[in-house]
Amino acid sequence: MAQSRGLRILIATVRVPFVNGGAELHAEGLRRALADAGHQAEIVAMPFKWYPPERILDQMLACRLLDLSETVGVPVDRLIALKFPAYLIPHPRKVIWVLHQHRQAYDLWRNPLDDLSSYAHGADVRTAIHRADTELIPQARHVFANSQNVARRLKTYCGVDAAPLYHPPPDAGRFYTRPAEDFLYFPSRINPLKRQELVLEALPQTRLPVRVCFSGPADGSVFERKCTELASQSGFANRVQSLGAVSDEEKRDLYARSLGVLFPPVDEDYGYVTLEAMLAHKPVITCRDSGGPLEFVAHRETGLVAEPKPEALAAAMDELWEDRERAAQWGAAGRQRYDDLRISWSYVTERLLQ
Amino acid sequence: MKILIATSTVPFIRGGAEILADNLRDALAAAGHEAELVSIPFKHYPPDRIPDHMLACRLLDLTETCGVRIDRVIGLKFPAYLVPHPNKVIWLLHQHRTAYELWDHPAAGDLIHCATGPVVREAIRQADRELIPEAKAIYTLSRNVSGRLCRYSGIDSEPLYNPPSNASLFYKGSPGDYFFFPSRINSVKRQWLVIRAIAVCRERVRVRFAGEPDNPAQQAECVNTVRELKLSDRVEWLGVVSEEQKRDLYANSLAVIFPPVDEDYGYITLEAMLSSKPVITCADSGGPLEFVVDRETGLVADPSPESLAQAMDALWTDRRCAAAMGDAGCARYQDLNISWANVVEKLLC
Repeated sequence: MAQSRGLRILIATVRVPFVNGGAELHAEGLRRALADAGHQAEIVAMPFKWYPPERILDQMLACRLLDLSETVGVPVDRLIALKFPAYLIPHPRKVIWVLHQHRQAYDLWRNPLDDLSSYAHGADVRTAIHRADTELIPQARHVFANSQNVARRLKTYCGVDAAPLYHPPPDAGRFYTRPAEDFLYFPSRINPLKRQELVLEALPQTRLPVRVCFSGPADGSVFERKCTELASQSGFANRVQSLGAVSDEEKRDLYARSLGVLFPPVDEDYGYVTLEAMLAHKPVITCRDSGGPLEFVAHRETGLVAEPKPEALAAAMDELWEDRERAAQWGAAGRQRYDDLRISWSYVTERLLQ
Repeated sequence: MKILIATSTVPFIRGGAEILADNLRDALAAAGHEAELVSIPFKHYPPDRIPDHMLACRLLDLTETCGVRIDRVIGLKFPAYLVPHPNKVIWLLHQHRTAYELWDHPAAGDLIHCATGPVVREAIRQADRELIPEAKAIYTLSRNVSGRLCRYSGIDSEPLYNPPSNASLFYKGSPGDYFFFPSRINSVKRQWLVIRAIAVCRERVRVRFAGEPDNPAQQAECVNTVRELKLSDRVEWLGVVSEEQKRDLYANSLAVIFPPVDEDYGYITLEAMLSSKPVITCADSGGPLEFVVDRETGLVADPSPESLAQAMDALWTDRRCAAAMGDAGCARYQDLNISWANVVEKLLC
């Protein structure tokens, strides 16, 4: 099947200008994996702005108007589409690997963190998104999802079947472990959905002098300020360290030296943080409503699953802080679990091109 | 400032425009700005797809991101420069050329052969006429591009030159026994014209061609002509060369030949000047004519084998004159203030 120069493959995704998150790394990881497998692969990244809601419809239409069927007379053999609304781009040989749908129209509708439902036309736009997803996603030859969590939402809301397909975090081979030091590590973009705030509220309720180190760039300065205020107000400033954006080397070092990793987001689609913690032999504290992490964290085996409340999170943090030996055991078990799952790019490309 | 560079790309094709966009982003970053590319895929056939892509660009919203204002959009290529933005500056690389000066070009013309071609041409022209002036300022790649924009769309603009990649790495070697013609090989760059000229040169001139053919057929045609005219020992096809080799070939050539049809701009002229080499070009070559001063920094021939042969013979026989013209070309480059710092200053003012 493969020609001498492999297939010509386009990866269609969406990019929010000046925001670099997991989705960009994902598209780049996939591109590299396809190139390693001998294919010619390029990324088409459509800019996206989701407010006011009418703009979403405009951008859905813009994607439908594009023609990626061929370039200069040569067919594009496959379109692999990842994100809304880029996965709406028509193509006769399209495979969709859904990273996530437009969550404000689904599971985050009427969520206090959401903005779509607060607009006059929000409900109409939500209906249009549901219709487009329900009718157009099944046009693809195959539909995969980033995780069980994403597949489940797709089934619940749109009645579309999708096979979960896991992929490794960037540079998975470069994570390592070191003896635990006196801090829990929370690496993530500073963003309400990641709930750094919940951790800051939990800190004053710990029995032990638990220390937390945050790293990651802020998506918007408002929330970052709120977190900084909270950290100083509670009088626990000396127990909180906020490093901002760090390099990949620093990040891996922080993982390696941490006692455990905190990752309590709201219904995360997938979450590299869980996998990176497992790669670094560290237990993960997550929450019952955190979504993706729950596919990997086995409670009291590779980490702790807490209620999304400050008291419950504080208790989990105390537990790791108190019993270092058990924390180390759970971390090692997490690493074992990662290896058992066989998460690799070569498997991903094989499935996507089957 | 937060700056987005809006451009159109054809997937799997990387040419001068893509390099320019990357260089612009790097120059903006070096000047302390946050700059990113927004590349909208573009497919120009069948003609009906063109209005679809124009509309897609009009539907995008680059005014802000996550509640933070985007201070400026710099639009480069059709149809991406149609994207709306209150602080847009256009640096026009070129319009959709087959709707304008290449409409009835025998090789390049495409819209003209389609039933809906005339309608689409009018849609493109109308969009350009009405929407390009939305920009706060309009710059172009060259005087040639400004001239077309004024002639066809009635819009005034200012040419804004940019340096070739790695301009500072070009150098002057000692003049060797060959003319150098680096370029993608296709009918518009006119390698075929040079081959026909060699056949009628008085002197036994030699030409080294470097560059990739746009398609294998065009290369084969050139190679066949060389064989038919029995010029095999006078012509060398180097294919794709590294940037280092290319600079070497410039540095040690006698002169550079660059006779394309109505080139928009043409880094080759500038690279020759940076290597202190005279340039032979043609009276209809467009961009190069903004830089080559006939008999001072090179020779401007008619686009015929005979006239081109005469120019080649002239430089081949008078090496001292060729060297002097090369030095004059280098001096002229320095006088033109072609720098990314200047480009950035203009685009952000």
